[in-house]
Amino acid sequence: MPHKHASKSKPSASHSAPAKVREHHLANGMRVLIAARHSDPVVAVMLWYRVGSRNEREHEAGVSHFLEHMMFKGAERFGKGEIDRLTTMLGGSNNAFTSCDHTAYWFELASDRWEKALEIEADRMRALALEPAEFNAEREVVLEELSMGLDDPWRRLTELVQSTLFLRHPYRRPVIGHADALKRLSVAQMRDYWRRFYHPGNATLVICGDVDPAVALERARAHFEALPRGASYEEADPFRPAETPEPGQRRVEMHWDDQGKRLCIAWPTVSVGTPDDHALDVVSTLLTAGRLSRLQDRLVYEEELATSISTQSDTRVEGGVFWLLAECAQNADPRELERVLDEELERLRREPPSAKELARVRAVLRASEAFENETASDFAERLGEYATDAHWKLAIESLEHVLAVDAKAVRDCAARLLAPERRVVGWCTPKAATPKAPSRRKNARRGAKR
Amino acid sequence: MSARAGTADLVVRLPIERFTLECGARLLVSQRRDAPVIALQMHLRGGHSLDEPGLEGQAYLTGGLLDQGAGKRSEEEIAEVLETSGGSISGESNGLSAAAAAERWDTVLELAAELICAPTFPADKVRSQRQRLLDRLLLERDEPRVQGDRLFKQLIYGDHWLGRSAAGTYESVARLERKHLVAFHRRNWVARRAVIAVCGPVEPSRVAKLLDRALRRWTPGEELPYPTPELPPRAVRTAVFPAEREQVHVFLGHLGVRRADPDYPALVVMDHVLGAGPGFTNRVAMRLRDELGLAYTVHANIHGSAGVHPGAFTAYIGTSASKVPVAIEGFLREMRRIQDEPVGDAELATAKDYVVGSFALSFQRAARRANFMVTAERFGLPDDHLERAPKVYAAITPEDVQRVARAHLHPQACVVAAAGPIRESTLRKALASK
Repeated sequence: MPHKHASKSKPSASHSAPAKVREHHLANGMRVLIAARHSDPVVAVMLWYRVGSRNEREHEAGVSHFLEHMMFKGAERFGKGEIDRLTTMLGGSNNAFTSCDHTAYWFELASDRWEKALEIEADRMRALALEPAEFNAEREVVLEELSMGLDDPWRRLTELVQSTLFLRHPYRRPVIGHADALKRLSVAQMRDYWRRFYHPGNATLVICGDVDPAVALERARAHFEALPRGASYEEADPFRPAETPEPGQRRVEMHWDDQGKRLCIAWPTVSVGTPDDHALDVVSTLLTAGRLSRLQDRLVYEEELATSISTQSDTRVEGGVFWLLAECAQNADPRELERVLDEELERLRREPPSAKELARVRAVLRASEAFENETASDFAERLGEYATDAHWKLAIESLEHVLAVDAKAVRDCAARLLAPERRVVGWCTPKAATPKAPSRRKNARRGAKR
Repeated sequence: MSARAGTADLVVRLPIERFTLECGARLLVSQRRDAPVIALQMHLRGGHSLDEPGLEGQAYLTGGLLDQGAGKRSEEEIAEVLETSGGSISGESNGLSAAAAAERWDTVLELAAELICAPTFPADKVRSQRQRLLDRLLLERDEPRVQGDRLFKQLIYGDHWLGRSAAGTYESVARLERKHLVAFHRRNWVARRAVIAVCGPVEPSRVAKLLDRALRRWTPGEELPYPTPELPPRAVRTAVFPAEREQVHVFLGHLGVRRADPDYPALVVMDHVLGAGPGFTNRVAMRLRDELGLAYTVHANIHGSAGVHPGAFTAYIGTSASKVPVAIEGFLREMRRIQDEPVGDAELATAKDYVVGSFALSFQRAARRANFMVTAERFGLPDDHLERAPKVYAAITPEDVQRVARAHLHPQACVVAAAGPIRESTLRKALASK
């Protein structure tokens, strides 16, 4: 699926938190979250910026992700290659990722040397180099990354569906952007973007692992508190049009040169942390989590219409998407797959799940807790993502919210949000043959409406 | 704080208790008191090397069918136990792995044991699972990355099973029937070929007691010898899987080394300098990605595939067709450079510090610990291997790296497989470059 939101749809959570979280605010507005846990001599340090592709103007499409690459190409103190060299010498790991709502930088280091991550982050927050030669070389890398995605039929299909689901909002664009905009982007534009969003007032620092919380806070202050706050988010963030839902189901279609018959259905949904967000997590688990889930059971195992099926509630800051992906079995008729899917979705909208079914869903959600927070980095990521997109307490409380969703709420949420007239249905079919839509619906090209 | 302070002090201690179960299987247990999960890894010697001719995929499908029925339990009943206890069990061509939330460890271990000893291979499940595999193989026929990898292994290993995918081919899987899986399990899933490792917050003796009982009916069978494989000599060979795509997947390399090779530790360090070090610290990423902007994904490695049998030196890049010759030349140039010039002290220190320092970070997950225990047992590593390893790596010199690069890298005898919009003549021309 096109956005890095997978972890949000899963409950981490437990009745007892995986670590006690302390929240602090530095004088320049930077938020610091510290979670001590001592099971391993390891510390995860993550710095989250409230900026992603949703903050980009059309001509900047892809700048958030490209800037994330450039953050490894040198700053005042740590020049090009130094971040990786130091991390490597310390036996640690680093990485970064960009979504439509946030950009995050991650270090995992042994607990006797984790502070180096703070030095590096403070340096590139304060004085990023953005050398033109490095910028041009890295643009080639980003264009190759984009080409890699273009060779993936699932990625192509979900991007096509997403651009049909959101007609105005920047959520319609892939996070990596488009080649034409990337080729035109200048260093000056990237620098302006970095200035607007990369400062303490727009950042959350997460320190999780084998640390003394008081020492961790003191070190965070030492490295970041002298940095200027920067423009307010409201000032930096450009105007963007609100999305007005398009009435009527839309169908889109593309072709690929293999035998796959891939189906992607998407509905517009709600923001992270809302009551419907929790209900959609239950819906997703009910539909496709585990062999006994409704759609796995019927479509994959009983009727063998699909070889795989999955759903994901991809809630974001300014709305979300509920995704359903299915790969049609070779011997099955895609129309039959869609018909049976529709039957199951209609049942979901009409009848509350049984007590037994809901008990299974709750058991699955509760049991996943242990795996969700096994390492310091697992918990740091969860904490930072919720903190940036909604509220960090959801990292601890979301399981309780999800377990409190009752059968009626499941049905009502599905009836409101997963109605057929709100969705986009996308098929990717072999170049030679195109499956027909179910007879009660007309096939239509991209963007067309019934 | 000095960047290089103390990496040699980061020692991972993995206490292991060993048992030989009554059935003949070896069991290793490492207790990890606060772990929220328990992980089990069972390795079974043989795997898809034991597929009957024409029935490739036999071991793979046998492993995949384990959770589709066992003892008196149906597939649905197995799923019910797992889904409500936060457990997962996955059968493979050469063993099985399982994990569970710590509080349900006994339920999931009991179930894993039942799946190992008494799978029922229900006919309808065999048919549907085989069909799902056939569907996957059909799609993979047109998937350039999969086909590039397949061609690369064929160029290196020829017709030997080491060059084959465990999943088999569309044609061979289509021939598989229930009787083939039953026979494979009966012949090859035997206790004396198994190493089982368990890591979690449980007393080792309790794990041993449970598995001893649960596996008591497991057929002991016979151990399996490892015949030395006859493999094609190293030589320049090329192959192309043509496909209309944005990128070309390029696999360059040659036959590699065994895990037991005494040069293995020096090769680990060499790999980190050449093509496996994180980020832009390795030479091929620095040169081909960072300086030339050829690719998002590029790496090279010889130690990762070293096993009981020789693995492969593999250099991979995904890049546009016009950049393929420069990429191939770049790989060859870096292979020669590490043979011709001693590695600089600073570069070597970075690689060694990473190899030693990253131990502490790479053993956080119970599954990783279980996996390591199996590896250590299979290759005869001593129990204090993790404690001794830092000293072994710290002692490696520039001369060691140059010596093993000369001994084990063969830039003059590389195969190249490529998948995408590219001609074979382009590969040959690039390989001929000096």
